[in-house]
Amino acid sequence: MVAKLTRTLLIGSALGAGLGSTHEARAFKTEIDATFDAQFYSLQSPYGSPLVQRRRYTQTLSLNLYDLQADRQPLGPALSFKSRLRLDSDFGQRPEERNPDSASYVPGLVEAPLDVMYAYLEGQRYLGGALGFRLGRQYVVDSLGFWSFDGAEALLTTSAYLAFEAYAGFEQRGGLPMMSTSRFEAGGVSRGDRASLSFGQAPSFLQESKLAPAYGFAIESSGVHFLHSRFTYRKVINRDAVLVSPFLDNGGGLTYALGDRTSSERLGYSLRLDKSDLGAVLGSIVYDLYNRRVSQYNAGLDWFLSDRAVVGASLDYFLPTFDGDSIFNWFAHRGTTSGTLRADLAFSRAFELAASGGVRMFTTEGDPRSYAASPDLNQSSHTFDYLGTFGGRYRFWDGSLALNTMAEAGQAGHRYGGDISGRKLFDGGYYDSLAVLSLYDWEDALRPDRSATSFSYVLGGGINPNFLSFSKGRLGVEWEHTMNHLVGQRFRMLATLNFTVLR
Amino acid sequence: MNARAQRESLWLLVFGCTAALCLALCGQSPLARAQTAASASASAGAVPVPSASAEPGIVRLTHGLSPTADGAPIPERDRPPGTLPNDNGPSPAIFPPQELTIRFNHRRHVQDLKLTCTSCHEKAKTSRNSADSLLPEATRCDACHGSDHRNPMQVRAGTQAIGQCAYCHLGYSRSAGNRVAPLSLPKPNLRFDHALHVTRNIGCAQCHGAVENLELATRDQLPRMRACLNCHQAPDPAAGRARSECRTCHLTDPSGMIKVSFASGPLEPPSWFHDAGHGPDWIERHKAVAGNDSRFCANCHTEKSCTDCHDGRVRPRRIHPNDWLSMHPVAAQQNQQKCASCHRDQSFCLTCHQRLGVTMSGPFANLAERGRFHPPKSEWTDGPRTPRHHAWEAERNISACVSCHVERDCAICHATAAMGGRGPGFPAGPGQGTDPHPIGFRSRCASALRQNARPCLVCHTPDDPNLLDCR
Repeated sequence: MVAKLTRTLLIGSALGAGLGSTHEARAFKTEIDATFDAQFYSLQSPYGSPLVQRRRYTQTLSLNLYDLQADRQPLGPALSFKSRLRLDSDFGQRPEERNPDSASYVPGLVEAPLDVMYAYLEGQRYLGGALGFRLGRQYVVDSLGFWSFDGAEALLTTSAYLAFEAYAGFEQRGGLPMMSTSRFEAGGVSRGDRASLSFGQAPSFLQESKLAPAYGFAIESSGVHFLHSRFTYRKVINRDAVLVSPFLDNGGGLTYALGDRTSSERLGYSLRLDKSDLGAVLGSIVYDLYNRRVSQYNAGLDWFLSDRAVVGASLDYFLPTFDGDSIFNWFAHRGTTSGTLRADLAFSRAFELAASGGVRMFTTEGDPRSYAASPDLNQSSHTFDYLGTFGGRYRFWDGSLALNTMAEAGQAGHRYGGDISGRKLFDGGYYDSLAVLSLYDWEDALRPDRSATSFSYVLGGGINPNFLSFSKGRLGVEWEHTMNHLVGQRFRMLATLNFTVLR
Repeated sequence: MNARAQRESLWLLVFGCTAALCLALCGQSPLARAQTAASASASAGAVPVPSASAEPGIVRLTHGLSPTADGAPIPERDRPPGTLPNDNGPSPAIFPPQELTIRFNHRRHVQDLKLTCTSCHEKAKTSRNSADSLLPEATRCDACHGSDHRNPMQVRAGTQAIGQCAYCHLGYSRSAGNRVAPLSLPKPNLRFDHALHVTRNIGCAQCHGAVENLELATRDQLPRMRACLNCHQAPDPAAGRARSECRTCHLTDPSGMIKVSFASGPLEPPSWFHDAGHGPDWIERHKAVAGNDSRFCANCHTEKSCTDCHDGRVRPRRIHPNDWLSMHPVAAQQNQQKCASCHRDQSFCLTCHQRLGVTMSGPFANLAERGRFHPPKSEWTDGPRTPRHHAWEAERNISACVSCHVERDCAICHATAAMGGRGPGFPAGPGQGTDPHPIGFRSRCASALRQNARPCLVCHTPDDPNLLDCR
């Protein structure tokens, strides 16, 4: 851990020194952005013990180089490099939680993982604006979700209002010696670094991670503002050796699945069509080729009553899908469908209100009320949750006041509550302050003893100095105090330091 | 104190704190109130109106003080193209508030005196930069008004009423050192090449509306983005045409991102633009817009805007309010699918749940303290399937199950006996031989088996007749 921290600081120092020494010679612009977050809080098991102490220290360091292309014009070719490194440590972990020989061992727990969030070279608007590319660890955001891979992407934009995108590489997965996280893998499977584990340790829920080839393409509209349409495809392949069954086979051994297998393969399509004096239609659909099912769709219709008022309706469907290695794909029966109506009113540029209400519907195969007496899976049954939100925001010249309230009630219980938060700047923004009051009430229908009413407040503040030629900088602290009968009093402290240097 | 009294005290405390917070935050300083009022006035395009004639002997002047003679709203037909009713003027982030201290009647000059726009604003034909001042020099007025502005330090008034300083300069007072109030026309925060647009035969009215029908031209006659988009609809490679890229007109910072923070306010997309109004409910709505066109978002936002929540390490309070740790089990039971947009169940959720001892699998040391998380076994696991049976919850919200359970927990019962489970063939009570697959699964299973047989083989032996049916 100390070694990793030292390594991070050394990298940062080297970057800073390098920048300083090349200040006069370079033509490109350099941006260094660093964040330091320290969080202190405790988690108590619902059974009273264990008590988990979180002593978290997260540091990110970003290095961006712009205008690597000489003589860059605003609409001309541009070459840049962007990267962000993260150290996410938790000093509250007990050493025995990471010791495979201990009874407290938690598979996959790492005290201070270091990951490269992204690092890529990007070219834009080459060949007269037609060609763009990215090389390195990068994100893809579209109807298939928020995803990351290591590889190359090329974008060809034509003057015929169409753009073609293709990419290939390896999905970012946890447990690889590539400073990566598991955030972007499909769920349902635990993978990690088994280097410190012997063969039989925790075999059922920690697979060895290996590079997972991935590729995809997209065709989308380009150039017009009133329409955007994107068709996209992506496939990810598992190549790791995975234990087939958690149980010993007839020979007393364990069987592994080897070779290339589908991790996920999906098609997505999204569309936005708007007319600025009338309204907009938004929609997307995702088809899971592995499960052979539509896994998501949403459709929204918004009506622009005026420049200040919008009303809309939306329908959203979600069926959980998992990695192709997971059995959980076959436990997901029907998706969840939500329908909501909303209104957004801007009384002025400073004062806005928004409200929504809707229903979330679950469908089961068989009726829970009668199934015990007459089992019939073909008799579908629906349950409903009722949803509502109301929020407002008033922004004045040196601060803001916001209200956010919500209500959800249904078969699983209810949650009602809201926050009032205020932010205010002082001395021309040199100082800032934050105050939040929250009141929530919830009922857990499956475990009524876990129902509670909670009151919390947060007080915070910071300074925003322009020192040492930083382009931006902020040092802040927040204090959070929560009261409910489940935990009694709970405290959380957050300290942050952010700064950006752009030269 | 009993529980009810405690709860009442809590409510009283909550309301007291809420009221105190509101009072503290709403009570702005006098300076803040003054600046807010000035800003509001300027953004609405209002101009100072002299309360009375500044000098004895000069008649009260009523024209040229506002767009219409009677102060009525500007007719919609005279406003710039792209204007929406009651749109409150153009964005102050793009066109900062102005301070107009000149009385000027465009209608009189154009309709009655037959001047054209370029008679006074001739620099518009050659201007390449939005920061250029396109107002006429004051000497331009001298020929008709009889004044002499050649030496700004020694301006001479004309002999007639129209040549007097107070005729045009609001608030002028000879007794105040012959000074006039400064005119404030901040440069717009955008790129604009008037000359290029003139060469494309784009007339003044195509962007500024029918100024010739108005008296004073205010901020409200400045262009609206909706009108720009009538032409700016060309993709990048369409060289020479009006490109749709945001940076064509909007200022960028050194990183190439659109500048969104200005002294006159933040730049945010209007609700009609890509349906991306950043109102109070934007955090709930942004998925549909960003999922459809993330490159549009990337004009203003870096990856950090996404990762702070979607791969974040500090709880975003707008999404997870205070005391989320206590509340999140109910939220997950209600709609765990939402969690998956930022959290991976079998790493983020499971690891913490194992540390806290609320899972079946995980540290053995935690087993001693562990109570029963779910309803009693007789309802939750055993048959018959009553409404509180786990099967319904699993059907309804399998993602919530996966945040605590590994597949072994399910396979123990649902795997076939030949694989070591208690599934079909195991002489147990009802429920344990239940087929967990959804209706219609058999029609899809061949494809799944071909692409990845591993999950099938967790519960079925290779020679299982059910598996053979899928081949």
